[in-house]
Amino acid sequence: MNLNKPELSKDELYRRLEEAEEIIRAIREGEIDALVIRSSAVSAEEVFTLDGGAESYRSFLEAMDVGAAAFDAGGNFLYGNAALCSLLDKSFDQLASRGFLGVFDKHNREVIRTAIAEAQQHKSKAEVQVIVGSQLKRLMFHADALKLGVTDAVALTFTDITDRILSEQRQEAERTALAILSSAAEAVVVSDLDGIVTHANTAAVTLAACNPVGMRFGEAFALEFKAATGLMQGDDFLSLALSGQSVQGVEAIAPKGRVTQDVLVSAAPLRVAENQTQGAVVTLVDLSRRKIAEKQQLLLMRELDHRVKNTLALVVSISNRTASTEDTVDGFRQAFSGRIHALAATHNVLAERAWSSILLSELVTAELAPFIHDLHRRFTISSGDIEILPRAAVPLGLIVHELATNAAKYGALSAEGGTVSVVLEPENDGNSRVITWEEHGGPAVKEPTKRGFGRTVIEKSLSYSPDGGASLEFNESGIRCRIRIPVEDITSPEVDG
Amino acid sequence: MTATSGTKKLVLYVAGETPKSIAAIRNLEKICTESVPGKYTIEVIDLKKNPQLAREHNIVAIPTLVRELPTPIRKIIGDLSNSEKVLVNLQVGGEE
Repeated sequence: MNLNKPELSKDELYRRLEEAEEIIRAIREGEIDALVIRSSAVSAEEVFTLDGGAESYRSFLEAMDVGAAAFDAGGNFLYGNAALCSLLDKSFDQLASRGFLGVFDKHNREVIRTAIAEAQQHKSKAEVQVIVGSQLKRLMFHADALKLGVTDAVALTFTDITDRILSEQRQEAERTALAILSSAAEAVVVSDLDGIVTHANTAAVTLAACNPVGMRFGEAFALEFKAATGLMQGDDFLSLALSGQSVQGVEAIAPKGRVTQDVLVSAAPLRVAENQTQGAVVTLVDLSRRKIAEKQQLLLMRELDHRVKNTLALVVSISNRTASTEDTVDGFRQAFSGRIHALAATHNVLAERAWSSILLSELVTAELAPFIHDLHRRFTISSGDIEILPRAAVPLGLIVHELATNAAKYGALSAEGGTVSVVLEPENDGNSRVITWEEHGGPAVKEPTKRGFGRTVIEKSLSYSPDGGASLEFNESGIRCRIRIPVEDITSPEVDG
Repeated sequence: MTATSGTKKLVLYVAGETPKSIAAIRNLEKICTESVPGKYTIEVIDLKKNPQLAREHNIVAIPTLVRELPTPIRKIIGDLSNSEKVLVNLQVGGEE
């Protein structure tokens, strides 16, 4: 016992013992990284750190070009190098006082926190975003475990990938723009402020008959503006767009392509950013198809006019001739409306087929439908089918109507069990194709003494050509009619079935 | 060493910017802000700069947090990452 030292109380001794044990525990568990030693030589305290290279690691971090930071396992921000401070535009003290993670928003904070928490198990990398000043920066970071003396730590390195991503986005946007340009079916041309073509898609190259890039727009396409009476040239057109005005839908002729094309030209200023005009975009829409369609429409209108006039003339003729052969108004009404309906039935079928042609079977079926309910039992058509053009189809429809009317009134269709067959001869007879209408099972037939308009219709309707016509035979077993259709009015070979 | 009325002073001894020293400062700030706001003021003493100040509280291991009042004096050694342990030690012998 040192007699110079005061006696310590029992409580004080316990307290000191407890403290000594706590220090030993803290050292053993790595909770401290510095010790105070009193040097007996100079009788003064000195601090010795146990950070085992932490200082050199900090120097290493400072030497790095990329932003780097160290955290302890609990996520406490220990160091951040100058590159990181510069990246985030903050001083070290600002980063330290905001706990570093405070610089990031909630989502990005969580991403970094998770990477730190998992770094002892595995390395990771992720992208985070942070607002620096007014700019959104995109940072790629890598997290890895690190031992700083007695401390389990985590090192994070940050690389600014904003410019790279922006550059990639710009390249992608440019690729997309070029893809759109080349995919466009219409000709698209881009020119710079001097009117020199900088981009042209395939359709534009075809119109110019050469690659127009590098040429003046006017020279490359030599457009002729019909409506402008020579006052407007291709370059004037472009000047309007370059001055900021859009020009839409002007018709022009592009004479330089393989075929001279009618085109619809539109031009608009090319504004890339902040309303700055950097050139002009010109589109040239091919009007050839539209022009063809317009011509086709005109032809159709004329054809329709012709047909309507023909039909009206036919109706007037039918009306007059029916009136001259019918004795009563009722008789006239029935015969006239029957014939008009026959005309309408053929018209309907022809209209459904856009006035191209009509199948023989379709025509006969349409004309017989009003007379025979059990069509399949009482009517047969054999030896195939043919396509008949409108010129022959309309009179043939009238002939079939007259034959059916007669059959229903006096012939095979007036008696139960009577039948009608229509037979198409398999071969042409000279320049005619023969169809035979034959009735069976009706009342005995005698040749009529009076010649009605119906017979005239049958015999004369197809006589517009020497190869057309019809002849009637009044056999006792039933009427037989031999109808000749000019071969020129048959479009296709017969179809089996 | 009582600070302004109602707040008590805690003295944290650190050794420059060693990882444990920095962690202890951050952890203590967090505990005081989140768990006992307005109750304590913190004085950080860097023994790397002034090693002789270790003498007042007989500091051996760094970091060490010292609570002077209420008596008896309490020392919490380590980086204070166990916030429950810190809070228990701060409150021993206290009115809470």
